[in-house]
Amino acid sequence: MTATATVAPVRRHLSIMVPVRYLAAALIVGVTLAPLLFVILGGFRTNAQINENPVALPSPWVFSNYVDILTSSSFWTFLLNSALIAVSSTVLAVGLGSMAAFALSRYRFRGRETIYSMFTVGLLFPLGVAILPVYLLLRQLHLLESWVGVALPQAAFALPVTIIILRPFMAAIPSEIEDAAVVDGATRLGFFWRILLPLSRPALVTVSVLAFITSWNGYLLPLLVFNEPSHFTLPLGVATFQSQYAQDTASILAFTALSMVPALVFFVFAERQIVGGLTGSVKG
Amino acid sequence: MNTTTVAVAPSATAAAGPARSTTPAPRRRSSTRKRLELALLLLPSTVLFVAFVFLPLIAAVYYSLFDWSGFGPLIDFVGLDNYTQALTDPTFQAAIGHNLFIVFASLIVQLPLSIALALLLHGRIRGRTGLRLLVFTPYVLSEAVTAVIWLSLLQPNGAVDGLLRGVGLGDFVQLWLGDGNVVMFTLFAVITWKYIGFGIILFLAGLQGVPEELREAASIDGASGWQTTRMIVIPLLGPTIRIWAFLSIIGSLQLFDIVWIMTLGGPAGSSTTMASYLIDRGFRRYEFGYGSAVAIILFVFCFVFALFYQRFALRRDTQGALTGRVE
Amino acid sequence: MKNTRTITRSVAAVTAVAALAAISGCSGDSGDTVDGVTTLTFWHNGTADPILSIWQDAVDAYEDENPNIKIDVQPIQNEDFSTKIPLALSSDDPPDIYFNQGGGLLATQVQSGQVADITDLTKDWIGDVGPAAGNWQVEGAQYGVPYAMQLVGFWYRTDLFEQAGIEGTPTTMDELTEDIEKLKDADITPIAVGGKDRWPDAFYYNTFAVRECGEDVLKESLAAVDLSDECFTKAGQDVIDFIASEPFQDGFNGTPAQEGSGSSAGLVASGDAAMELQGTWDKSVMQGLTDTDLNPLLGWFPFPSVDGDGDPSATLGGGDGFSCTQKHVTECVDFLHYLSSADIQTKLVESQVVTIPVIEEATSAITDPVIQSIYDFNSEAAYVQTYFDIALPTGVGSALNDAVADLFAGKGTASSVPDAVAAAK
Repeated sequence: MTATATVAPVRRHLSIMVPVRYLAAALIVGVTLAPLLFVILGGFRTNAQINENPVALPSPWVFSNYVDILTSSSFWTFLLNSALIAVSSTVLAVGLGSMAAFALSRYRFRGRETIYSMFTVGLLFPLGVAILPVYLLLRQLHLLESWVGVALPQAAFALPVTIIILRPFMAAIPSEIEDAAVVDGATRLGFFWRILLPLSRPALVTVSVLAFITSWNGYLLPLLVFNEPSHFTLPLGVATFQSQYAQDTASILAFTALSMVPALVFFVFAERQIVGGLTGSVKG
Repeated sequence: MNTTTVAVAPSATAAAGPARSTTPAPRRRSSTRKRLELALLLLPSTVLFVAFVFLPLIAAVYYSLFDWSGFGPLIDFVGLDNYTQALTDPTFQAAIGHNLFIVFASLIVQLPLSIALALLLHGRIRGRTGLRLLVFTPYVLSEAVTAVIWLSLLQPNGAVDGLLRGVGLGDFVQLWLGDGNVVMFTLFAVITWKYIGFGIILFLAGLQGVPEELREAASIDGASGWQTTRMIVIPLLGPTIRIWAFLSIIGSLQLFDIVWIMTLGGPAGSSTTMASYLIDRGFRRYEFGYGSAVAIILFVFCFVFALFYQRFALRRDTQGALTGRVE
Repeated sequence: MKNTRTITRSVAAVTAVAALAAISGCSGDSGDTVDGVTTLTFWHNGTADPILSIWQDAVDAYEDENPNIKIDVQPIQNEDFSTKIPLALSSDDPPDIYFNQGGGLLATQVQSGQVADITDLTKDWIGDVGPAAGNWQVEGAQYGVPYAMQLVGFWYRTDLFEQAGIEGTPTTMDELTEDIEKLKDADITPIAVGGKDRWPDAFYYNTFAVRECGEDVLKESLAAVDLSDECFTKAGQDVIDFIASEPFQDGFNGTPAQEGSGSSAGLVASGDAAMELQGTWDKSVMQGLTDTDLNPLLGWFPFPSVDGDGDPSATLGGGDGFSCTQKHVTECVDFLHYLSSADIQTKLVESQVVTIPVIEEATSAITDPVIQSIYDFNSEAAYVQTYFDIALPTGVGSALNDAVADLFAGKGTASSVPDAVAAAK
């Protein structure tokens, strides 16, 4: 009996396991989605409806909450600020990180492992731990209240993950390719730019996605850096909206639902990279 | 990473035959050139990293030796007083306890749950890709948004209470965020909701690396499903488990967003974490010296943990993203 | 090559987003003088009506009269101020005009060097505001201007008291305890408290201290940041005993004070609790949380007397005001002068946002008998002690609130609060 990799578990358990599987799947999906559905649907109700019956469908469907938020400038401002910061910190982290990973993977030099360890140490020293001195540093550099003051630290703290994922990937590219490029007259940097980076595209996309999500979802750093609401990022904006309009539950739900949209849309497009990247690092 | 395919340019295959050794250019020139290249490649990231990760760390050590409100010069040297004060402060001790609670609860609850669910979902189910997508969704949302969502759901007489009452479980209704004895469990449940999908996906991937032949062979030899799982599958999931645990523990130690938005460490300090304590004391109370000491303590926690982990847990993995050996 | 295209595309994306953000973000920059128009940022804590509209209207009217000034109004939830102000004073761009309760809180903020000394700019008119202005002085120099005085006392539901068969209002602690029992017998939650925010808990401790301690001891101890006198320990025991009588709503440690209908203010507003020990501003907060007209339903009585050294007519209170930061002092002071006008003060009193105005003239706008009784009580009070967490420096005040919150959570002893203050000093 030849075994194939994707055969379902042993036959004698087949009959019991299948419905159990589907039940588990249904349960997981239910628990995962129910809160999100509550938020989305809640935005279509009024506060009176919600107070009367917290868990119910909108009746009647009220669109004003969503419309008011979509037509106000604050939601879009938060969105744009988040986008600006996330794109900048991602470009910076991945750009600088890929260069460093290239050096650390395909050059031999003294102190190479020391430098690599330095970046690895950074992995266990997340932004949340360093926030107080980072804040003071930003203050000294007069970067408070500026988007640069958020993008730079985020990029710096994204470097460890970026380099740790990229280095083995770049190292695995056969040296024959590099040698061939040299024979063809390319410099090592040229090789990096023209051949290695394109070849590393899957990994680059993965680290970009990871850096982007981490930046987009950041709350603590923007909380400390921004006082002027027009500079807020989306997570900070949502939390501030919640505390400012605490009694307007319906509006809060609508605002929260809308702020989930960019992340979800992004995720649908990038799902393969995120999940693929994670599974890749696991199976490696 | 071996899961991704590497596209090979045509010229490379053609060149694979002929001699590939490079005739070295005059040594000095190539070594200077190499140094320049290395500088160009490494300096920017190293500078950025050192500036925003290491320098602050060193600065924090310095600030922590002073009693400093954050304004004006550092004049009030207090030595290690901030450290002793923090470590003997019952609120901070409780905060450490809360972080450790999350660490261990995650290991005891989330780990088996993720593996079990991954095992259940591992076989062929229709709509598996869609399932993967859905299950992973909470992970993509920011912690801040998650906190606002659940803050709304957990209000007294809110959605959760309404649902419980609706299905006749009204007796189970608690003051989810208002009762000091319940609040940490509530927060843990929210954290689990957010991160369980991540675990499932990770272990699903890990399971793909478990050869089906082994399981087949075991069952032929008469092993039950459970025995197979316990003796073969789980040990083979070892690397995955270790990576998951590493990420989970580091995340648990720096928990902030969810706590800050949902409870602000309350009621009466029963949900403080080291990070929320740090922000509260350091920023809200104008105690930057003290806050720096707390930050260093938090860093030492993470560092010691990682050191131990690296030594004992990760050493066994000869390959892997975190410890990849490079020639 | 594909690769170059991707890079170019990302750079283009960043530039585009940057441009957009620059356009949207820069227009609101505080404190710029563009084309002769100076923009000031104004942070206040009135996030709900009626006070939200009053401030907005005041700003609009001021802008009409002063076309070269534009004011960017930022309502911020009261509980967020304690996070945002330290951060703002630490940055390069603090708000030009911001809400401030004076006392030790202000003194701590002055250390930042960003709060402006407005003694000279206000000397011509600060006297109009009365003795209240003293609370916004630090070492003799004026650093802020008040717009309201506040007292702390018991707001109570007259209808619920009637339901429980309570006649009149309690004047001694024993009477209050009796009334609590009557309310419990009638299945009514006696007292709502917003334990989550900690300062409502501290009101109890502070007032017990005011009752137990003589005026001199109280004032000296607070000035010296030293609560070692035994009256402060007695106050702690009073709090413990009071909590032991179980007068509060379920889950009181997690209830916010003013946010949402589940807050302690909301509970009284909806008739789910009979009393709340709160400041005089709370009536307008409660009104904002319900559609029912609370005027005929709310009464007020001062904290009952206790067997102690304190004067029974002394009370806990404080005030609300605004401070200026250095960048636009002159414009800020001019605006504050405008806010202290009888006009604005009258509006504040009429809407019941302010019970005790700082300008004499506005008192004639008081129509509600309950408010009038509070005003009279204030005039006759022996003295008003500022809530401790504002009177003390910020770090110590926070530690005090935390210690009291611990008492409410069942942790600590009668001397916990003095100990915490000593440790935080």
